[in-house]
Amino acid sequence: MGVMKEHFKERNTRDYHQKRLFTKEELEERESLCVHEQSPFCSAACPMKLDVRDFVRRMAAKDFTGARAMLERISPFPEILAHGCSHPCEAACRMGEAGESIAIADLERVAMFLGAPKKGKGLLKFKKKKRAAVFGGELFTLVVAAQLADKSYPVEFYVEAGDAESLLKQCAPFLSEEILASAVRRLQSMDMKIFYGTDLSSAFVEEKRGAFDLLCAAGYLAKESPDADTLLGKDGILYPSEEGGECLRTFYDARRASVSADRLAQGLDPSTMRGEEGTVTSRLYTNMGQVEPSKRIPLRGEGEAYDGEKAAEEAVRCIQCVCEECLKGCTYLRHFAKHPRILTREIYNNTGIIMGDHMMNKAMNSCSLCGQCAVTCPNGYDMGEICRLARENMVDTGKMSLAVHEFALQDMLFSNTEGFLSCVPKGQEQGCRYVFFPGCQAGAVASEAVLRAYRDLAGRLDGGVALMLGCCGAIAKWAGRRELLNEQKDFLRQEFGKLGSPVILAACPTCRKTLEEEGLGQVKSLWETLLEIGLPEGSACHEEKVVLHDACGARNDQKMRQDVREIAGRLGFRLLPAEWEGEKTSCCGYGGLVAYANREMAAEMAEDCRKEFPDAPYITYCMACRDRLARQGAQSMHLLELLYECPAGTPPDISEKRRNRLLLRETILREFGGGDDMSPAGNGCASPEEMGFRAVITEEARRQMDDRMILDTDVWKVMGHYRDTGEAVLDQRTGLLIARLRIGNVTFWVKFTEDGAGYIIRGAYSHRMLVRTR
Amino acid sequence: MAETKSYYTIETDGTLLCQKCKVPLEKADAVFSYLENAFPVELPVCPKCGFVYVPEELALGKVLSVEKVLEDK
Ligand code: SF4
Ligand code: SF4
Ligand code: SF4
Ligand SMILES: [Zn+2]
Repeated sequence: MGVMKEHFKERNTRDYHQKRLFTKEELEERESLCVHEQSPFCSAACPMKLDVRDFVRRMAAKDFTGARAMLERISPFPEILAHGCSHPCEAACRMGEAGESIAIADLERVAMFLGAPKKGKGLLKFKKKKRAAVFGGELFTLVVAAQLADKSYPVEFYVEAGDAESLLKQCAPFLSEEILASAVRRLQSMDMKIFYGTDLSSAFVEEKRGAFDLLCAAGYLAKESPDADTLLGKDGILYPSEEGGECLRTFYDARRASVSADRLAQGLDPSTMRGEEGTVTSRLYTNMGQVEPSKRIPLRGEGEAYDGEKAAEEAVRCIQCVCEECLKGCTYLRHFAKHPRILTREIYNNTGIIMGDHMMNKAMNSCSLCGQCAVTCPNGYDMGEICRLARENMVDTGKMSLAVHEFALQDMLFSNTEGFLSCVPKGQEQGCRYVFFPGCQAGAVASEAVLRAYRDLAGRLDGGVALMLGCCGAIAKWAGRRELLNEQKDFLRQEFGKLGSPVILAACPTCRKTLEEEGLGQVKSLWETLLEIGLPEGSACHEEKVVLHDACGARNDQKMRQDVREIAGRLGFRLLPAEWEGEKTSCCGYGGLVAYANREMAAEMAEDCRKEFPDAPYITYCMACRDRLARQGAQSMHLLELLYECPAGTPPDISEKRRNRLLLRETILREFGGGDDMSPAGNGCASPEEMGFRAVITEEARRQMDDRMILDTDVWKVMGHYRDTGEAVLDQRTGLLIARLRIGNVTFWVKFTEDGAGYIIRGAYSHRMLVRTR
Repeated sequence: MAETKSYYTIETDGTLLCQKCKVPLEKADAVFSYLENAFPVELPVCPKCGFVYVPEELALGKVLSVEKVLEDK
């Protein structure tokens, strides 16, 4: 496998090419699956575009002034709108399906009463040059006149009514005395000239119009209907869409007329560039599953209003409709606090950056590619797939740093070279029907269980069982290294071929998935096989309540999830019902190589996996889950350990994991090894003894090495170099010697002391930068 | 070569000895390089054999953070 070296050459930050991650259409198509930013249904139903959800939120927080300000912003006569509106928002409110919709109308009315009015006029505004005239007293013209005045057009408003009060009574006959009085005060404070008692007629309008740039008139003065969108009549005057229309419709007409007025004032076509108007159809998803049904807080009586307390109580019933389905189970999305739509856009942009900082590298490398979101999202948004494709893109264009995944990739290489074994038991050389493929982590964490499982299978399965110790290639796939994956596939295909392409019995869900997806042979799960031939003799009965942690690799493998439950049941376990189980399971932090790219994130993921039952024991059928949960402090056991009664104990460190695999390999070779059909032994990891010196590593140094991803074999190489050259620094303050060696892309430094017995390793660190004298 | 400024300097106080040459390390010019980028620095170097010492604090501090920045370029 000489080609592999090529993959571990550091990239050049000045030399890369471009390749688009998605076409514009594909990006949009993917993004549009996420409905997080869609309007809640209440707001979508409001043509005035009130952000009802936020309004109700303010009411619940007793921010009545803030709530009132929102109403003041959408119309110049909020009290008229609040009392006259037909409130389609209430009909659209999702709480309608869980008891009763929120009493948005009552909340709006009381907000106008409890909230403090807007203070001052804001900045001093200069009057605009274009002059406006509004003819006739009705709700439409009243609102248009007020809106144009607010936009600083000089406005003249001609009405038949004799005074403000009778004008408002005419426009909004439904107002109570009290509210009418406040509307009158509001009108009187507006900056426009009102000509009361005008004798209005078409002739009057004709006579006046020459002096103005913008014209608007009541419906009863229109000769024909105006344009449906711009509300501009053929005579150049703005009219309502219908005479005596319903209150909300009239307010909406007035808003549209004002937009047209603005366009006309700028000499532009009023039918273009109007922005989004009116109601929208929302695709928002609201999970009503766990919503407690509730009824409205009653008013004291007909025509009464809430007080502040009751209003807040009513508003609290609002569930603040939002889609966060994917975030609920995903530690990663919660951590980055971004919804897939935004995240996708940012990651997409990241892949397009040529020279400059790729700020989203960490984000795209911190997803466990676990596929949970594709299941929890109502639209199947697969963020993991996007992150994986983005990694591939970064690798293909020479922008992905090797540092992020090198350790894992080297580990894969180790699994498929020094740690690799393809073993045909003595006497089976003519071909085996099966090959047991335990997966790299099983051998690393619980090698004894693997050995016993193999003995069992070899003894009980008809047709012969070979054994293959190696990596399925998932690591290269997760890292986005396609070429490397292809090489691994070719290698495995060849090895399976040498065995006569037997049925692969995969213990690990991710191996099973990867081998199958990559078309490497006929794969069957070990669990299914064990159920067929019966569980091994004498597996103990555990009368225990445990959590069965589903592997993300088995998310789409219902059969495997069922089989392991069956096995757990036969072993006597009672399973605690977990929220994130089955196809919704959360990843332990091993998936997607998160543990290498973002350790803290991986730890958080494992922690989240056990937060529902912090004290319960866990059983798993993926060795990586077993390992990560145990490292996080949970009591966790893999089914193999339970079935073959050999608990593997505390999780091994990174060096032990390699040693365990080598030892397993040797043991199997010794016990089952046959003729020369054995794959050649690797050159092994030399130990100090083999290298001709003696050395021990202190506890402290071991912990440090595990933390810093330094293998003891790296340390031995440094020490061998020291022994050969004598090159080191003596720090006289600490009495420590410090030696170094460049191995591949990394310089390793080892702190040690030396006595008659050998070296005592007291610490190690590393860096990737090269250093030399000038 | 034109005078270049150093990105980082470590003073020496005679407490670091080259184990091979048995002489104190001295502050001297060195270069860090990574992914085709180079930074002049001043580090403890053996005046006889040229052994350049990168202390742990430097490796896990400044060096690591510069590595990370470059890796994301
Ligand atoms: S579940 Fe997540 S990805 Fe799916 S629509 Fe909701 S916020 Fe968007
Ligand atoms: S529950 Fe609240 S956010 Fe949801 S539709 Fe009703 S008012 Fe709007
Ligand atoms: S970690 Fe899993 S659930 Fe979260 S975004 Fe990635 S693939 Fe989706
Ligand atoms: Zn020296």
